[in-house]
Amino acid sequence: MRVLIAEDDTLLRQGLVLLLETEGFEVVGAASDLPEFWGMVEERDPDVVVVDVRLPPDFRDEGLRAAAALRRARPGFPVLVLSAHVEEGYAAELLGDDAGGIGYLLKDRVGDITEFMGALRRVAAGGTALDPEVISQLLNRQHAADDPLASLTAREREVLALMAEGHDNTRISGLLGLSGAAVSKHIGNIFTKLGLNSTTTGHRRVLAVLAFLRRESVC
Amino acid sequence: MLRAFFGGSGGETERTVETFSGVRIRNCFPRGEAAVPTARRVGRSLRYLASCHLGALAGWPLICGVLLAQGLSVIVVGIPLGRFFRGIVKRVAERDRRLAAEFLGRGTETVRPDGIRPPADFRPWRELCWIAVNAAVGLPAGFFALVLIVGAAVSLTTPLWWWALPEGIAVNPVGKPVESWSTALLTPVGGLGYVAALVLAVPRMAELHARTAHGLLTAVGRAGVAARLAEVTASRSEALEAHGAELRRIERDLHDGTQNRLVAVRMHLGLVERMLHTDPDRAAELIRTARGAADDALAELRQVVRSIYPPILADRGLASAVSALAARCPLPCTVETAGLSRAPAALEATAYFVVAEALTNAVKHADAAHVRVELRGTGTALHIEVTDDGKGGASEEDGTGLVGIRRRVAAFDGRTEVVSPAGGPTVIRVVLPCAS
Repeated sequence: MRVLIAEDDTLLRQGLVLLLETEGFEVVGAASDLPEFWGMVEERDPDVVVVDVRLPPDFRDEGLRAAAALRRARPGFPVLVLSAHVEEGYAAELLGDDAGGIGYLLKDRVGDITEFMGALRRVAAGGTALDPEVISQLLNRQHAADDPLASLTAREREVLALMAEGHDNTRISGLLGLSGAAVSKHIGNIFTKLGLNSTTTGHRRVLAVLAFLRRESVC
Repeated sequence: MLRAFFGGSGGETERTVETFSGVRIRNCFPRGEAAVPTARRVGRSLRYLASCHLGALAGWPLICGVLLAQGLSVIVVGIPLGRFFRGIVKRVAERDRRLAAEFLGRGTETVRPDGIRPPADFRPWRELCWIAVNAAVGLPAGFFALVLIVGAAVSLTTPLWWWALPEGIAVNPVGKPVESWSTALLTPVGGLGYVAALVLAVPRMAELHARTAHGLLTAVGRAGVAARLAEVTASRSEALEAHGAELRRIERDLHDGTQNRLVAVRMHLGLVERMLHTDPDRAAELIRTARGAADDALAELRQVVRSIYPPILADRGLASAVSALAARCPLPCTVETAGLSRAPAALEATAYFVVAEALTNAVKHADAAHVRVELRGTGTALHIEVTDDGKGGASEEDGTGLVGIRRRVAAFDGRTEVVSPAGGPTVIRVVLPCAS
């Protein structure tokens, strides 16, 4: 799989290249700023990009904007965004186009190689990988009474949170100690409660996560 | 106020000054003023009254002139005439303002020297008002002083000349004709009364006169309060701006520096975990990289902490902290401190930042061989002066940190002055008020 990296910190950039190559990815480029990144996107035809949110020269949210611009140009193009801090609002922006192939993780997760590789592969395959930190921000939020999310049981919310992180049914059943059939049943209930019927094609999982992200918080 | 004139024994004489906004502030005057000998004090007051007397003499004709010009303004000639008289009013008032300020030892403006001034239009009225007041009060005051001087001189010297005058001309202070040696010798005793009146009344009169003049002629009243409010608002927004910039810098330093280093440590440790058994040599190398990153993280963390609030400042105070800065400076650097006492942490941190930034400038841009840092506390303000013998020509446009200094200082209602002629030397002077 061809990966393109955009990270301004030299040590981290070199580390990421080393890490990905050790894990059998083909790193087609490692950009240190945005212009270089855009040049490499055009030239080197990556399958997935990993971008730091903050890039020179302004060190604001260039990475997020680049990801959004890239996905406007190529809908569904897999992007994994790394950040020093995560905000659920940013996650909602990233997932705004209803397509999968989005990851949004704290930089810290890079150290957990198995998890990080799993997340990168999921994103490349069109799934999602939301940081547990984003999920916990979402779970801590108060929901309005008429919010379909409020009607989810505690177990269903756990399952939805793990779906949002990007895990598949097998992994969810392993993590929660449930049978595969039980997980499928919970997921079915979640889809029903969120109004995602079986005729909705494609990314029902992504849409469920989106529903999760998009609820207005009530104070 | 008067205690400062008559009383006060040694040390600092504390006096209360009522400001234009009606707030009483305490002001400390250094040793010396209270100890001015009585004779000099009286002499000074007399000189002041005499100087003002001239302005007062011009008062009545001036007022007539202004009124006449106003009356004539319906015909064309009144307009240039009015302008002419207003010009004179302005000059006379300007002179009185300067005299009063000098006499009181205060500034001619109550606004700060950093450019914010009260609206100009309040002045002409106040000046005209002052001319009228001075004509009504200053003139008699001046004559009164004159009478006292002449009276004292005449009475004290009566025994020397009374006999040379025709009978009935010489009269002593109580109105009795001086006709015999006994009355003539007693007359100087009455003269002492004039002297006593002179010593007691003249300084008071001069003081009152000067305060009235200063009060009317400087930025007082509503306009002054408005001007002060504008300053405070400006300094508050400077403070918010400086604070915001500071928070952004700290956030960035922590996220892009320290946190990235730690992420690198974690990432390399993850790699080591993978390679430990398959490629021990590579793993050892990665451990070294991780350790280097951890060292960097610690160094950056220390740097960030120091930039927020240098620990030595908390432990040892400003003088020691600045000495430590000077010791770290690659240029020979002398530090002189005087009268420093502990100030609020934010103020000390700002003073420290100013010196640090000025030293950095001297090292980076000035091509200097020597730097001198002077810190002086006066109780009401902290004065900082950093002088380098470099090539001068420092400007705020070329990103030398002078803007940062000015902004941080302005946040404390202080002022910054940079003198840097081409060829040097460069002097950065900062005054930070300690109490409002």
